[in-house]
Amino acid sequence: MILRTVLRNEGRLLTTDRALRIVLTVFAVLFVYAVANGMAWERFQERTVETVRTGNTERTSALAQELANIANGGQPSSPFLDPRAPNVLGGARGAHAAVLEPGPLAALAVGQSDLLPSYYEVSIYTNESTFQQNGEVENPLNLMVGRFDLAFVTVYLLPLLVLALSFNVLSEEREQGTLALTLSQPVSARDVVGAKLAFRALFVVGLAAGTSLLGILATAGFDWPGRVALWSATVTLYALFWFALAAWVNSLRRSSAWNATVLVGAWLVLVVVLPAAINIAAGLLHPLPSRVEMITAQREASNDAVNRRSELLARYLEDHPEMADGIVSEEAGVAALAWAATDAVNRRLEEVTAVYDARRADQLALLRRYRFLSPALLAQEVLIDAAGTGDVRFTRFQSQVRAFAEQWRQFFVPAILADERMTADVLSAVPRFRFVDEESTDVIRRAAVPLTVMGGLVVLVSAAAGVGLGRVRGTG
Amino acid sequence: MIKHIVRKEFSDVVRDGRFRWCAALVGALLLVSLGHGWVQARQAQEEIVAAQATAREHWESQGEKNPHSAAHYGIYAFKPRLALSFVDEGVDPYTGTSVWLEAHRQNDFLLRPAQDATAAQRIGALTAAQVLQHLVPLLIILLMFSALAGEREQGTLRQLLATGVGRSELALGKALGIAGALALLLVPAAIVGAAALVVGSPGPAASPLARAAVLAGIYLAYFAAFVGMSLAVSAWVRSARTALVILLAVWVVNGLVAPRVAVDLSRLLYPTPSAVEFARTLEREMATGVEGIERPDQAALTERLLAQHGVERVEDLPVNEAGIYLQETEEFGNRIFDRNYGALWDTFERQGLVHEVVAVAAPLLAVRALSMGLAGTDIAQHRHFATAAETYRRDLMRQMNGDLAENSRPGELYTAGPDLWAEVPPLQYDAPTLGWVLNNRIQSLLVLALWLAGAVLAAAVSVQRAEAT
Repeated sequence: MILRTVLRNEGRLLTTDRALRIVLTVFAVLFVYAVANGMAWERFQERTVETVRTGNTERTSALAQELANIANGGQPSSPFLDPRAPNVLGGARGAHAAVLEPGPLAALAVGQSDLLPSYYEVSIYTNESTFQQNGEVENPLNLMVGRFDLAFVTVYLLPLLVLALSFNVLSEEREQGTLALTLSQPVSARDVVGAKLAFRALFVVGLAAGTSLLGILATAGFDWPGRVALWSATVTLYALFWFALAAWVNSLRRSSAWNATVLVGAWLVLVVVLPAAINIAAGLLHPLPSRVEMITAQREASNDAVNRRSELLARYLEDHPEMADGIVSEEAGVAALAWAATDAVNRRLEEVTAVYDARRADQLALLRRYRFLSPALLAQEVLIDAAGTGDVRFTRFQSQVRAFAEQWRQFFVPAILADERMTADVLSAVPRFRFVDEESTDVIRRAAVPLTVMGGLVVLVSAAAGVGLGRVRGTG
Repeated sequence: MIKHIVRKEFSDVVRDGRFRWCAALVGALLLVSLGHGWVQARQAQEEIVAAQATAREHWESQGEKNPHSAAHYGIYAFKPRLALSFVDEGVDPYTGTSVWLEAHRQNDFLLRPAQDATAAQRIGALTAAQVLQHLVPLLIILLMFSALAGEREQGTLRQLLATGVGRSELALGKALGIAGALALLLVPAAIVGAAALVVGSPGPAASPLARAAVLAGIYLAYFAAFVGMSLAVSAWVRSARTALVILLAVWVVNGLVAPRVAVDLSRLLYPTPSAVEFARTLEREMATGVEGIERPDQAALTERLLAQHGVERVEDLPVNEAGIYLQETEEFGNRIFDRNYGALWDTFERQGLVHEVVAVAAPLLAVRALSMGLAGTDIAQHRHFATAAETYRRDLMRQMNGDLAENSRPGELYTAGPDLWAEVPPLQYDAPTLGWVLNNRIQSLLVLALWLAGAVLAAAVSVQRAEAT
């Protein structure tokens, strides 16, 4: 009964407070702007996917036409790029672009999608250096700063909104002298603070979740209920963490100014300082070699390979009997020799990459261990993972492209070694790439630990606040 | 009198536990990020020097081959880390490190360090420049928000003014006192930075010490603007709490909101083509030419050469037509590349200008542009190196094609040897001068000066108008 009165009064206070109205309006504008921004970026990516796919079709039909032409006695458009040669049809001329569609909730988080490539041209020449190419054409300055998307607003700005609404929930009552009056009613300080914060949390979570759902409705629809639920749960838990923190600081019975300073400090440490400190530590403890070595290695391997092609081919045929159907190296053609050299370079690149990846894995392990220190890092990770614009989905894409490239080689290399001629019929059998997205349940399973930790933090801090608030009396 | 105010303010701050904690944190972050940046920059530069030497060795030791094969083999260029890049790595993680200089093509810079980093590393990158741009202003705000508002709330402002101290004297005293406290933090960091530069400069740069001195001046102006702004707000509003809220809002807009809004604005005003579109346009124009830039016509070239030398048969020409034709194709390609890459770079620069204009609402953007410029890690200096590398490529191709034209005969299996490879000078890169950098960043200098003047003026006016109670 009394609580309902508290809530009703809160509602009145919040709706009449001009400063609060301004803050809420500003945030509503920021949320909507962020979603609109993300949607524009998703549309851009969808157009790119479309263009790349059309390119695939056009390339195939042009080759089909040329091959049909040649079959009818015509000449190839260029003697060096005769599509009948399997190393041409499986090489750059007949390459197939493997494309990654924008993530399921891409409009909510740009994540890594502005930096990492979302398509690769796959041919027999695809190797580790393929994965070192640049992504979208984008101003490096803009990449450095990052986009104004919902994930950014949630991780960085939402806590500030929470703190602005709740840093003085209790201290203000005391400073205005209304605390004694309130607590003279049959309610405890715990109930009052709880009710006030719950009321504010409804506002904040409603605003954040509402705009998220708006963005989802406008783009993906609800094809991915699991991811949508994960996103909403993360936003809610993250906001609750900051409310709990505000409640706890209020329970320490200090002045509003003190609360504000401490909470801003906490925001700074958890959102800015700790992520930076963890990164610096990872960089110092597990420094990464630069990729520059890769260039030198590739160069040296190809210099070497060119001189030892026959020897390499002999070894290749020995190692890959499945690729060569009874071919002996003595009668191999120029294309077979060239393939052996290419393959040797690829193997060398894989060695260099493996060394690099091992070092990087050490660094990532350290980062993964210490990310629990900052709820902001946890929230960011889960949010972009749920949106499908995080590192996991791009790594998955890359490994599917690697597998596809192997499939491609299985298709063309035997023909190269056997020095076969290709015809238009082959084109319909050439492998095609299709990205297979993870099941929502897998994403949720990965998020379970970070979310549990965040939930645990909320419970822990709330409990501490509850204990502290239990000691609050109306006087003194 | 002012001496007393400065001393009182200084010792108040230095004795305050909160200041000690904050200052220790910011100071530690500053020193760690400087040290980390220095170690990284040195390591990167060592690798780059070694890789460049190996690349040269590969070029020189390619043995006997046709100069055009050598041109196709080409050489790699690696972008050096400049001396001050350890203070501000700027856009370096997002631009490639190396470029392959080969026949017929201007290639993109590849190997962006950021592509090897995770999303968490991307948001958590911290350089000395970022500590200076984000955290020091926050420290200033925390120290200054109650400077006058607090005195007024406690009723001590009226007492102070009753002693006959001038309002501007009082304000100046407070500003200087806090500046003194900040100096305890910044001077050691500046000394460490300068020592790192003198003792073990990570890489080359034109006049690194002069650049460093200007950089220090830029940051001092930025901090002074924040001191002025904080003082103005503290004098203007009634309560210390309101002053804090307003100043924190300014800080959030300055450091978090405005930079990202500038990104969106720049992309909206000056959109860049998608990578597919860019590659396709380039491919199409290389195949067919565009208006005003036509593919060289080999038959026409033959006729021209025959007429020019007054002979009737190609075999009688004193030069090999193949070399000249290759060079003409090269020149044609160069014009197409200049057209496309030039337009792209120009768009990047216009986008950068949008960031610098948004600086009118957020001084961080002006300081960031100047800081990256002076550290040699901005887009303009990346383009400067890219242009130098591309010029080198074109000279290299001209030399190879020239040798082919001069020394080979049509139909002959011609090879050149190590002498020709060694004749090609190694890539020498001279980083731009301080004047060049500042000249490119006039807008930011102006905007920063405007902010400083505005903040000082606002402080002066609101201190004069401040009510004592």
